[in-house]
Amino acid sequence: MNRFVRSSPVSLVLRWLSHSLVWFYAVLLAAPLYYLISASFKDNNQIFLRPFHLPQREIFVTRPGNYREFEPLGFQNYSEAWGDVFLGQALINSFVVTVGALIVTLALCIPASYALARSSGRVVRAMERYFSVGLLIPGFAALVPAVLLAIELGLFQTRLFLVLAYPAGALPLSIILLTQFMRTIPRELEESAVVDGAGQFDILWRIYVPLARPGIATVTILNVLGFWNEFLYALVITGINRNVRTIQVAIPNLVVQGTTEFGVLAAGTVISIIPVYVMYVLMQRRMESALTEGAVKG
Amino acid sequence: MTSTLDESPPPTGSLVRPSGRKRPRGGGLWGYSFPAAFWYALFTVGPLFAMFYLSTQSWPGLLSDQEWVGLDNFRRMWDDPLFWRAARNTGKQLIVAIPVMIPLSFMLGYYLTLKPRGHRLLRVLFFTPGLISITAKSMVFFAMFAPNGGVNGVLDAVGLEELTRSWTANPSTALWTIVAVDLWSGIGWTAVLFAARLASVPDEVYEAASLDGAGHMRMMYSVAYPMAKDFVGVMTMLQFLWTMFNSAAIVLLLTDGGPAGRSTTLSYYVYERAFIAQQVGYSQAIGVVLLVLGIVGLVVIRRLIRQDF
Repeated sequence: MNRFVRSSPVSLVLRWLSHSLVWFYAVLLAAPLYYLISASFKDNNQIFLRPFHLPQREIFVTRPGNYREFEPLGFQNYSEAWGDVFLGQALINSFVVTVGALIVTLALCIPASYALARSSGRVVRAMERYFSVGLLIPGFAALVPAVLLAIELGLFQTRLFLVLAYPAGALPLSIILLTQFMRTIPRELEESAVVDGAGQFDILWRIYVPLARPGIATVTILNVLGFWNEFLYALVITGINRNVRTIQVAIPNLVVQGTTEFGVLAAGTVISIIPVYVMYVLMQRRMESALTEGAVKG
Repeated sequence: MTSTLDESPPPTGSLVRPSGRKRPRGGGLWGYSFPAAFWYALFTVGPLFAMFYLSTQSWPGLLSDQEWVGLDNFRRMWDDPLFWRAARNTGKQLIVAIPVMIPLSFMLGYYLTLKPRGHRLLRVLFFTPGLISITAKSMVFFAMFAPNGGVNGVLDAVGLEELTRSWTANPSTALWTIVAVDLWSGIGWTAVLFAARLASVPDEVYEAASLDGAGHMRMMYSVAYPMAKDFVGVMTMLQFLWTMFNSAAIVLLLTDGGPAGRSTTLSYYVYERAFIAQQVGYSQAIGVVLLVLGIVGLVVIRRLIRQDF
């Protein structure tokens, strides 16, 4: 910590204070997550009476002569959540929407970025400006008209509409990031191809796409996360139809006015997070750099 | 939207092209960018403009007939106490969330760049809110803030029973539960982003400052901040936009805007009018106001950040 700074009693106190504050926030951050995971293995009684305890078999006295016993639940909450709101179907829907929207996004943003990176024509400059302004337009603003568009196209309550609409929101950032990446590819590499008479499409497909793979990976990670986690569009488009709704829309249905089984709710929520966390564990470095790049460069 | 934002250069460094590099004109390349531009126009720009048209309609429900009413929807807003309550709530939310989040996360980001003990663990923790969905966050806090939930459990355990309450249903705390979730996830996540940006500040700069006797506070303020100033501006603008426009989802999941509109924000009100009250035209009139406020806010933030250059 103390790389450059000299110590005085005041600075020692300040340093101690800043360490404690940071770790205090870290505990605040971790506590709800711990609460979620531990609750997913308990029933309401255990959650209410022993909110932060590990799930365990336990006997305790409520009044003299009166005791309660907690049974370990195992994965019972998980199977209940699975059955109650049809999480199997919801996971399939989320998967279909995420993959479909990703394919459309890549099919649109790779050629566009190629054009933006290689051309300095006026039309293309205007396009770049168009997309960079788009970065600042929140998707929420277009929510209601988008539903009307879905109805108009006969795609209300379909996964297909999400597959088509999600890429629009993702395009500005994806194109800006990928364009920057493609600009770093040296143009000399394509010269021999040009001599061989290769057209634009050949150059894009055989030279730029393979070389831009890290950039494409960044865009893929960002968008997979964004599509998987999207809630409001999914809610208004697929909300009431359990055959097409995504997992983000299905989970809140575990909240029942007055009689919510918090353990089941927690288990469902954990199920919805697992795919993302698996992805994070498998490619932590790549994912961290993709997400920070998304914000820092975008 | 375009004209306001176009007047000054884009906020990020992203669009600055490496100058002096020759880039031969690629003939016919614009055709490659056309599908993406069209797609964006169809699904985002078009609907955005449609919103202005819709705001002049009386339209009781998504599937019924509409009627032109001019500016009636805007007049109605003026007399609608719920609209004013929502506007006040959005104001409160922004006034608390942004000034707390940005300085704290900047300091935290600076802290992370010093690589103190445990910084890897901290990074993973701070990263987590950026990974999980708004649904998951809301469900976690739905359970935490429940009458028998974790927050009250902690208060009981430390002997502060008199502070326990039904957080999301209590008129004086409902809105603040929304702000709390924003801060909970926003501070750490933004700190990771600041740390990524500050990593590009060369060590020599800090060394020079430390030879002049600067402490961490001073280095943060007079070395790190000036070097990352533009980025602080960008993050402030992004957090502003997120807080302003994306609160609908979390309000919907956590409090339903209640009790009695105490936690209704403008963005939730747009949603509620359109999909629950079935007043599409009125909802979009509020949407237009929200969009205008968003643009005004962006311009103001940009001015504030730029002025002390």
